[in-house]
Amino acid sequence: MIKNFQSNVFNFLLKNGVENFIGVPDSTLKKFIHEGLTKKKIIISTREEEAIGIAVGMSLSKSKSLVFMQNAGFANSLSTITSLVQLYHIPLIFLIGWRGYLSNDAPEHKKIGKIQPQLLKNLGLNSKIVTESNWKDSCLWALNQNKKNLACALIIKREFVD
Amino acid sequence: MIRKEAMKVVVNEIKNEIIVAANGFISRDLFNVYDKESNFYMIGSMGLASSIGLGVAIKNPKKQIFVFDGDGNILMNFGSLVTIGSIRPKNLIHIVFDNSRHASTGGQPTNSKFIQIEKIAEKCNYSSIFRVQNKQEIIKIMKKIKTISGPIMILIKINHGGKIGDRIENHPTKIKEYFMKNLEET
Repeated sequence: MIKNFQSNVFNFLLKNGVENFIGVPDSTLKKFIHEGLTKKKIIISTREEEAIGIAVGMSLSKSKSLVFMQNAGFANSLSTITSLVQLYHIPLIFLIGWRGYLSNDAPEHKKIGKIQPQLLKNLGLNSKIVTESNWKDSCLWALNQNKKNLACALIIKREFVD
Repeated sequence: MIRKEAMKVVVNEIKNEIIVAANGFISRDLFNVYDKESNFYMIGSMGLASSIGLGVAIKNPKKQIFVFDGDGNILMNFGSLVTIGSIRPKNLIHIVFDNSRHASTGGQPTNSKFIQIEKIAEKCNYSSIFRVQNKQEIIKIMKKIKTISGPIMILIKINHGGKIGDRIENHPTKIKEYFMKNLEET
């Protein structure tokens, strides 16, 4: 089941000053993206690194941005995170769908799903897992990280197999 | 004409406008030719100068935003042409200095000599594209683009070579700080 709290996350961040939502779609984040598309606030890029680049340009213009992606795209983005986002201290929010969270997820997701927590840790990218019960606190935490000029990640677990 | 010569001509035409410069020798040449606060030197994240430029252009529709790209850079992020051509910011001018080389890694070849990058930009819905290869043509086109809407691509065919420019002295957080301050105040 995809839970409805994802639309709450979108609306709460929008209400609290996040103006741009850029990324590559992920089925885990379907409800979030749907909410954004309905409100015409989503830019779909061709790759995740590109989305980060666009978000950085907007952030340099003092416009708050979120980049959404599947964890496969997070893996694509490692060098962009280290040599652009972290190097220049750009305060972005990453929203990452955690494929491979369940051990019976499709085979292509298993390895990245397993190493994802360690990757985030090694990067020094602070993260929180967003759930139905903590979504508001997680959003507030992320906004607060950005206030300190830090990028951070909100993670949504893939808790179903289709 | 080498990159630095071409860049001098371009910069002389655009003066103090905002520039997002690709990593490697593109940023280093710009730093040595005309360092100013409205230059964003992207020293890592190869390929993304045009994406950063797109983000800046969307948020600053009344300002002209120039991207100084290289052939190696844009070949790594061709998808950027798709997104720029879909959003179509009128104020984005995408300049590609094309020497068909990965200059800063030792001059290894890129495949840009087998294709026409600007034609791909045209098919991706850029408003205008130009291909130039000498100083007179650059000056002519730089004057012409003042009267037309973007997104525009100017591909400048250059020769490989020239002295390696000094590295950018400012720390990336300073580059950001100056750039943001300039964007806000101008």
